Amino acid sequence: MSDASLQLPAGAQVEPAHGHGGGAHESNLGVTNAKLGFWLFLSSEALFFGAFISTYFLYRGRDSLYLGGPKPKELYDIPFTSCTSFILLMSSLTMVLALAAIQRGDHRRFRIWILATALFGLTFIGGQVFEFTEFYREGLSLHSNLFGTTFFTLTGLHGAHVTVGIIWLLSLYARSMQGRLSSEHSEAVEIAGLYWHFVDIVWIFIFTAVYLVPAN
Amino acid sequence: MSDEPTEVEEPADGGGAVLTRDDVSRELAQHPERLPMLPGELRPHPTPRQYVLIAVVLVVITALEVGASYLEGDVNSNLIIIVLTVMAAVKFFLVVAWYMHLRTDLLIFRRMFITGLLLAGAVYMIALLSLHAFANGRGGG
Repeated sequence: MSDASLQLPAGAQVEPAHGHGGGAHESNLGVTNAKLGFWLFLSSEALFFGAFISTYFLYRGRDSLYLGGPKPKELYDIPFTSCTSFILLMSSLTMVLALAAIQRGDHRRFRIWILATALFGLTFIGGQVFEFTEFYREGLSLHSNLFGTTFFTLTGLHGAHVTVGIIWLLSLYARSMQGRLSSEHSEAVEIAGLYWHFVDIVWIFIFTAVYLVPAN
Repeated sequence: MSDEPTEVEEPADGGGAVLTRDDVSRELAQHPERLPMLPGELRPHPTPRQYVLIAVVLVVITALEVGASYLEGDVNSNLIIIVLTVMAAVKFFLVVAWYMHLRTDLLIFRRMFITGLLLAGAVYMIALLSLHAFANGRGGG
């Protein structure tokens, strides 16, 4: 055994990888393929959103050169968007509490927290739909100007990711209700959590870059 | 990785010894409420209490961010942009380290993440600079 090996104290249990994730295979790095693969997927997602955020910055403030239509300052309702951002942040908390509950084998709390996470996500999406509707009524659309194109594309794609996350969370809730999600499947919950936290950190940057940074 | 259930062996590519046997023993003894470890973890996940504390910090930073955005016009806008960027970065790293568990997972995840982050940041910054995205005098928004 190398110097890097760790011997856990008596009573501490570390199960082999195939004990989690419902028969997940372990890679030669000491982690399961599912988790390693999902981190790689998140890397590609980071590049995906990076491209859209960069595009938003590239076209930001260029409308006055040759296009009309409403401008960000005329549309944004910062207190409202701050509330929806707060809700999304809280959903990350309920997500990790759901993971902690399933790891402890507390299925009742797991269902409460996973449902709370999905409901927070739905509230966030509801707020986004309301915001989009309001902006459209004010005359902003995908075609009205560069701000409209980049804003709706960036925030809409993020909203689509949140929607996928909600469906994923509800499917975990349904599996738990059917008794098909034991504490041995906690890695499945952890991977769903990684996705959920990823959409949260993307929003952290969108909220700052799109809504809070002063227009030049 | 050993097949023995009570041994955690760092993989060859795992990036050096971070914890000693005594560290793990001490940590588990001090925090009996800690969760059982999953494959790919060096240390147990944080406790629910720690999760809540992180959430409180995130909410406070978000409130400060919103407050800072209202200083536009009173304070140099470049200063506001720097402050907002720093606060967003702090929130980002708190979520990644505590909620996505990079703090407690094997070093291979941290290395993959930081390498990807630096590469993506460099690529997009080069693209934006070459397209003059930050040039002055291109019209107001």
